[in-house]
Amino acid sequence: MRPHDFVPRLVFSLAAVLAACAGVASAAPVPSAAAAFIEQHCANCHDDVEKKGGLDLTALSLQLQDRKNFATWVKVHDRVVAGEMPPRDKPRPAAGAVDAFVHALTGPMLAAERAAEAGQGRATQRRLNRFEYENAVRDLLGAPWLQIRDGLPEDGEAHRFNKIGDALDLSHVNLARYLAVAEDALRQVMAHQVDRPATKTTRYYARDQRSFANRMTYSVFNTRAERATFPVLGTQAQPEVRSTRQPITVGDAYPATREREAMGVVASSYEPIELRFEKFKAPQSGRYKVRVSAYSVWVGPGKAPPGKAERWWIPNFDDVSPGRRPEPLTFYAELPPRQLRRLGAFDVGTEPTTGELEVDLLEGETIRPDAVRLFRSRPSNWVNPLATREGQPGVAFRWLEVEGPLLDAWPGTGHRLMFGDLPLRRTPGGGVEVQPRDVEADADRLLAAFIARAYRRPVAAEEIAPFRAVIAASLRAGTSFADAMIAGYTAVLCSPAFLCLEETPGALSDHAVAARLAFFLWNSAPDDELRALAARGELRRPEVLRAQAERLLASPKARQFTDAFLDYWLDLRKIQATSPDSALYNDYYLDDALTEAALEETQLFFAELVRADLPAKNLVASEFAFVNERLAAHYGLPPVDGIAVRRVALPPDSPRGGLLTQASVLKVTANGTTTSPVLRGAWIMERILGLPPSPPPPSVPAVEPDIRGAKTIRQLLDRHRSEESCAACHTRIDPAGFALENFDVMGGWRDRYRAIAEGVPPVEGIGKGGLKFTFHYAQPVDAAGESWDGRPFRDVRDFKRLLLDDEAQLARNLARQLVTYATGAPVRFGDRPAVEKILEQTRARGYGVRALVHAIVQSELFLNK
Amino acid sequence: MPAPIGSPRAAARSTGAFIATRGALSRRQFLRGAGIALSLPLLDSMLPAFARAGETAKAKPRRMFAICNNLGLLPEQFFPKETGRGYALSPYLQLLREHRDDFTVFSGVSHPDVDGGHPADICFLTAAPHPGSGGFRNTLSLDQYIAERIGHETRYASLTLGVNVQQGVRSLSWTGSGVLIPCEEKASDVFRRLFVQGSPAEVQAQLRKLAQGQSILDAVGGQAKSLQRSVGARDRERLDQYFTSVRELERRMELAKEWETRPKPKVTAPVPLDPASPREYMDKVKLMYDMARLAFETDSTRSISLMLDSVNSPAIDLHDDVKITDGYHNLSHHGRSEAKIAQLKAIDEWHMKLIAGLLKDLKAVKEDGDTLLDRTMVLYGTNLGNANTHVTTNLPTLLAGGGFRHGQHLGFDVNHNYPLPNLFVSMLQRMGIEADRFASSTGTMRGLELV
Repeated sequence: MRPHDFVPRLVFSLAAVLAACAGVASAAPVPSAAAAFIEQHCANCHDDVEKKGGLDLTALSLQLQDRKNFATWVKVHDRVVAGEMPPRDKPRPAAGAVDAFVHALTGPMLAAERAAEAGQGRATQRRLNRFEYENAVRDLLGAPWLQIRDGLPEDGEAHRFNKIGDALDLSHVNLARYLAVAEDALRQVMAHQVDRPATKTTRYYARDQRSFANRMTYSVFNTRAERATFPVLGTQAQPEVRSTRQPITVGDAYPATREREAMGVVASSYEPIELRFEKFKAPQSGRYKVRVSAYSVWVGPGKAPPGKAERWWIPNFDDVSPGRRPEPLTFYAELPPRQLRRLGAFDVGTEPTTGELEVDLLEGETIRPDAVRLFRSRPSNWVNPLATREGQPGVAFRWLEVEGPLLDAWPGTGHRLMFGDLPLRRTPGGGVEVQPRDVEADADRLLAAFIARAYRRPVAAEEIAPFRAVIAASLRAGTSFADAMIAGYTAVLCSPAFLCLEETPGALSDHAVAARLAFFLWNSAPDDELRALAARGELRRPEVLRAQAERLLASPKARQFTDAFLDYWLDLRKIQATSPDSALYNDYYLDDALTEAALEETQLFFAELVRADLPAKNLVASEFAFVNERLAAHYGLPPVDGIAVRRVALPPDSPRGGLLTQASVLKVTANGTTTSPVLRGAWIMERILGLPPSPPPPSVPAVEPDIRGAKTIRQLLDRHRSEESCAACHTRIDPAGFALENFDVMGGWRDRYRAIAEGVPPVEGIGKGGLKFTFHYAQPVDAAGESWDGRPFRDVRDFKRLLLDDEAQLARNLARQLVTYATGAPVRFGDRPAVEKILEQTRARGYGVRALVHAIVQSELFLNK
Repeated sequence: MPAPIGSPRAAARSTGAFIATRGALSRRQFLRGAGIALSLPLLDSMLPAFARAGETAKAKPRRMFAICNNLGLLPEQFFPKETGRGYALSPYLQLLREHRDDFTVFSGVSHPDVDGGHPADICFLTAAPHPGSGGFRNTLSLDQYIAERIGHETRYASLTLGVNVQQGVRSLSWTGSGVLIPCEEKASDVFRRLFVQGSPAEVQAQLRKLAQGQSILDAVGGQAKSLQRSVGARDRERLDQYFTSVRELERRMELAKEWETRPKPKVTAPVPLDPASPREYMDKVKLMYDMARLAFETDSTRSISLMLDSVNSPAIDLHDDVKITDGYHNLSHHGRSEAKIAQLKAIDEWHMKLIAGLLKDLKAVKEDGDTLLDRTMVLYGTNLGNANTHVTTNLPTLLAGGGFRHGQHLGFDVNHNYPLPNLFVSMLQRMGIEADRFASSTGTMRGLELV
């Protein structure tokens, strides 16, 4: 008898005593078949002496009510099933032994999980997260322009998503914020004037804008041509205007000439040259059509002053000619100070081009255009990287035209929901007052209608009374009718029935299914059609449910699902978290258009997988990508024209295709200065393959990057990996990271690392910020490796092929992520058969992504709490 | 006190107007002037009558100001080489030399199991383990622990301040349920909260508003209560949380109503002008130090946290010869580049100078024969031992003032760090709060004695 043989029983009884004292359920004996397997195959390493990997299986009790204990047993189960344990160099268990072990464990584990969920369901009841809340309030009040989420604290996240009840906490601070944003939203959608606002079309000439005109003349703050604007008439320079000997515009008396007047730039919008059409300020929040007329120009090279050296890189604004290529423009809504929201983008040609965007603007917002391809000068000795000995490109802006506010109806949906058709009256202070016909009756009627609309299920009469009391108390205190009603409505929008998803254990009610479906595929509350089907009790019928899922997916609002899902699944919300280092990566530094395209690529790519029901293997390897001109150049693909991101076929041997090699993913897995195969590898294993590695041990410092270039990260890591205790995990973590070593912090291809070191001459080139490159090319990249199961690969193309060997695992991971997102609860041990069933239903079509969504919606996981 | 219920947009608009009408001094003048003068010897006259009559009369007020710079300081410049009382000041500590006997510097300290690099900043005052990993929940922060216990003695239980804070993401202050308390980012807002009296009509409106808020809370709390009856244990816990929030908010509204009717302290200085750009980082830090000092001087609160979100800061403007060319975060990943290190050093030195200024200002204020510094613990620290490598061990940390025997370097094992939460326990006890544990503490800070 080995000395530790009696230990488990001792530990067990001690634990039982302690547990009994503490009033928690006690441990059960490890089933004998499992105990025998452990004794024979595991105990040599995982006993109280060796404790390999920190695990002593001889002392591990079966205490499955305890979450940690349960998780440990799941891990033991999974590693044995996967054949990873016992390790390859140890004797294999006899045929049937693994099955017996698994069978012995599974029974008690499933029973424990069922017991834990009994009467509660998988999901914990939860409140809406701030994105859902924003969408739900926007839809309720018919005001898609409302900006609510930033007023609410960041939501807690569990299992990588912001949809999990256990993490969606609520404190008095949250509650105070919900009250504040709800009231603010209600006040914003109220009519602010008695008469319907006129929908006007107004033109704002660039020449009339301070930000354009002021930068035309030089001052101590404005000394350099590259940071100036210049006047052109068509493509003719106007030296007389530029020198202010002639007025800046011919004015309205000469409409034909005025139409041709424009202001040019050779730089994009960035401090200190920030163009905006500041004379326009959205008169009220709402929808507008925004049109901008602009075109590209060519500005000649600077002449050498007599006796001085040449200076061709300085633009000569008296030498302007037609543009030589189209130029992309992006547009932002701007609220001082520099609160920017991207509105959209289009290209302008060498002839005056009018582009149009239909956008939501907030009251007071103005429009900032940005000629994004042009450079952004940073201190101190910049040179325009686009300048040649023949000159440099520029963009000339003629005017902005705004049509709006575009009103479907007036007063708007939100106002009518709040106040019906009660008349409005002007107040002496210039405000508006709602005039009730009969205060009590109107309050009763309006409140009941509001609650019926806001709550996602039928409302019992007695539920209305507490809110009616709020209104009554406010009226008694002398508050106006409208303010009293708003107090009542604010309470409704912060009450549990609106703020929380009401799901009861067992099969979900039709209304709860409607809510789950809408918050899954629209990230918002159910609409009329879903509510009507739920009310008729038809929604749970499979064909009805399927048709509704189709309808929701076909709507533009489905982007609210895919974008929100990607924000968390792939961390896309963090795409701006770090910026490319200004010294090592000054070709990417300040290149907003590249980051924006990278984000849009992944969003459109995933939306395409859903739209066209493409097989899940595309997540790793696709024959197409979504690019625009900038991104195609970044990827080294055949050129495409323009800023619109569109689907293109990839050349056969391209390393691109699939998520792994998209710039967005490569950026969020890097830090702007360096890449780490460990961090990228762990990320890929968890997010894409669904095989999360163990967390790093505490107090082991990360390997310090060396940007002087003497050693590669692989060389630095090798020492770490050669230690056996580290290698156990790193053989699983690192391979995916090694395969991606050919990609820099922005996802650009590299054969050599970049480095900065004194005494080593840098590569020639000028960055987007106008500063010379300071980096040189150092050690070559080695992207070869061996997968966790021992298969070698040469590079990322090879690595992707290895991943494609197990398409089911790629689909399984996606299904698990989607189930977590859709149901607000992770896929637990007992949920695995349901996920396998979902996979089974979609296998024939290669696990189409849309089919996966449908199968999830029809699954027991989705239809039960 | 949470943000009052009201329209944030409307508030923003009125803020703008307010600054414009009162902008008699430029911000630079304001910063460079003799500091913010108070019109009367405040501390005696301003002690709220009801507090003076109550428990505060018997004990000295104790205060805490906790500051975290989430990119830290260059460790080789910060840590002294010798330990004990006779240690030689390090290059950075040289900048604090006139306060040498008023602070203790620590080395070899960290929060046990608080790893994960940047995410660790939110654990600076909570010491909740593994902030980077799945299933992480933050816990009650030190300042809120204090606020919960003695917050009712002052107009504000605590102030949560920030500079360049990524809103909704970072804060040093966390409630007991692990929820972030957002940072006040504008000094003008803090100032107004502290000193600007509303007109009688505004006070009445605010009282009406608070009463309305309470009636709203009655309605939603009642619904939560009725729903609680029909759900399972996990869901009930969620509804409990909702209901607790309602009650906490109600309690705060009740207290706020009481404070609303009492006059605020008076100061002669105008409302400070907020720096327009995050590049003016150091100006913003200085202003927040001023606000903290004023809040203590007027006994408006006893507990203040300040998150210096350097990670979220652009290339900052130092107003001196050293030109900062890179975002603060990018600089911190200096990869041993000498140019970057030189810029970081210039930034760090500014930090040290501002701390020196803060300590000096706190010493200049007298309260019952003590200086304000004697009664104010200033904790300055970080979550990163070295921003270049993201280690969360060996944190540069110093504690000034508050009534300890300072003037020493307490050096612990750099390979096996001493738990920093022990310092928090010492600080709590110094506050007069009965506590023998905080987070992962193992006792009080070894070697740190009360005066």
